[in-house]
Amino acid sequence: MQSQRRILFQRLQGVLGLLIIILLAVLLSPRSSAGDRIFLQLGNLTDILRQVSEIGVMALGMTFVILTSGIDLSVGSTLALSTSVVALLLTRWTPGVGPELHIWLAVAGALLVSAAVGGLNGLVIANLRIQPFIVTLASMIGVRGLARRLTDNTNIDMGFGGDVSSRFAMAGSGKALVVGLFALLSIVFAALLARTVFGRRVKAIGDNERAALYAGLPIRRTKIFVYTLCGLLSGVAGVLHAAQNHQGNPNAGVSYELDAIAAVVIGGTSLSGGKGSISGTLIGTLITGILTNMLRLNNVDSNTEMMLKAVIILAAVWLQQVRVGSFRIRKA
Amino acid sequence: MKQQILWCALVAFLSSCSGPKTEVPAGKKTYFVAFSQSNNAEPYRAAQNELLSRLAKQAGDIRLTMTDGQQDNSKQIAQIETLILQKPDLLIVAPNERAPLTAVMGKAMSAGIPTICLERDIVEPNYTAYIACDNRSIGKMAGEFIVDQLKAKNGAPKGKIVELKGLLGVEAEINRHEGAAEVFKRYPDIKVVHEAVADWLQSKGRERMLEILRAQPEIDAVYGHNDPMAVGAYLAAKELGREKSILFVGVDGLGGPAGGIKKVIDGVLAATFYYPLAVDKAMEIGGRILREPGFKPQKVYTLGSELITPANAAKMYEKLTF
Repeated sequence: MQSQRRILFQRLQGVLGLLIIILLAVLLSPRSSAGDRIFLQLGNLTDILRQVSEIGVMALGMTFVILTSGIDLSVGSTLALSTSVVALLLTRWTPGVGPELHIWLAVAGALLVSAAVGGLNGLVIANLRIQPFIVTLASMIGVRGLARRLTDNTNIDMGFGGDVSSRFAMAGSGKALVVGLFALLSIVFAALLARTVFGRRVKAIGDNERAALYAGLPIRRTKIFVYTLCGLLSGVAGVLHAAQNHQGNPNAGVSYELDAIAAVVIGGTSLSGGKGSISGTLIGTLITGILTNMLRLNNVDSNTEMMLKAVIILAAVWLQQVRVGSFRIRKA
Repeated sequence: MKQQILWCALVAFLSSCSGPKTEVPAGKKTYFVAFSQSNNAEPYRAAQNELLSRLAKQAGDIRLTMTDGQQDNSKQIAQIETLILQKPDLLIVAPNERAPLTAVMGKAMSAGIPTICLERDIVEPNYTAYIACDNRSIGKMAGEFIVDQLKAKNGAPKGKIVELKGLLGVEAEINRHEGAAEVFKRYPDIKVVHEAVADWLQSKGRERMLEILRAQPEIDAVYGHNDPMAVGAYLAAKELGREKSILFVGVDGLGGPAGGIKKVIDGVLAATFYYPLAVDKAMEIGGRILREPGFKPQKVYTLGSELITPANAAKMYEKLTF
């Protein structure tokens, strides 16, 4: 009974943070020449959803990783690798098939490479028992190097004519597709976490790995799968990034790993693992996205923006600590 | 056994990965040229490296080695110190930042190594020759071009401009901004309605422009401190169906399919301004220092920019694509 009330309270508190930010954004929004608030324009609201979708998709995978009490610092580099691979396959490869199949193959190639990066992270973490922080720090550096090497440090631009790459950019950058894909993946991964044996295993491992081991859970396999998923989702974000920005860029996604981790943590997932939810991560993603939009619509200087973001991250996480603490006191 | 194979594979891989070096036939007099690049991971600098390797290969008697400072002053200083110990016949430095690199270039000079400073000035003249590229005058040219276009569009020098800035505090960002600001200041009806920092990146240019387009119902021109940011702004405007009414202007004018000149040909950018790669001039001056004993280089060579519009884009593309 108490635990149910606790869960309800936690959910409310997460939503409360989101509501406060939305309220602020509405109140502070500049008005358009027609007199309505720019923040509330449908175009702007969907812009926000689209802008958060890359980090959001990465944060889905990051939620699983953090739930196992791991971390993945390589997602930004993997995104860059994915943009580079898809752009290279579209512009420098002539497979002799129709443009549609060519696009699918290029996307599949990028996703495969990204999943392989994640899988490799998982293999090393599960088998060599090196801390996830170190392993993914190494792959963050190495994968960035690989992306730069593949592209010779240059951007690989999509065309603006009717060639395959420009078709890909047209097809992959539509707002409906990007936001729709983000929504679909969110539902799939929320179900995966809450409704499947795999999801329970992920939480069990993060909660108490030793207990999970004694209970006979397949720890290695689960971990490898979790990191592979995280790599795959970074690859998806990379393909979206490439299409929307019309280019493969080996220097894209710098510090995205921190944005993804921030979204997960603001959403209430504990860095020590075991506790958290996809809905929390979505709230965390939206809080940062709306905050950024609010500051930029008001033309706030970019350095001030960084300082304000720091405050918001701390405040959001502090809110959670207060509530966990108060429950502990009540229990005692 | 398995491990040995692994090690062999690793060694083979590493040796195949060694940096760009040009081989020279044995027995011929060769010159050892070292290039300290500030950061390989920028399209402009990748183009510099490419052109320099090509020129060294063409020369036939030059052994070239390049280092990558990775946008880090301490790294670049350490690399130059190592290069000094290798006693190159010529040292070319593209300094990451002015002040931190000044002393180490002085060290190279006092070790008797002819040193060419590329494109960014250092605090003391610790160089044999300095190849300067003038970002301020590029900013001015861009400003004047935009004013001319606004006159043609609106019948008078008036209009609303959005400026997308590079990484704050970098020399190119400061001077490309100030050069243009100097021009805009002269016309009271020309207003820069929004300045946003997009860190030289196409993705950030697009992101920032989407928000600017929501806040600004009227925009006549976008001035990007480099081409990718201007292209990013174009992508944002295209998404909202406003790209036809806005003029997009960038800087850098790199060749190749990902460069700004191609974007002028594609009708994305109205114009771009060529920012000289400068390594060709460095090789010309450096070559004379090496081969002509009596040659006294000028202290400073200033390279001009060039306006690239659809009128001359095809020609420039051919010239600058390698």
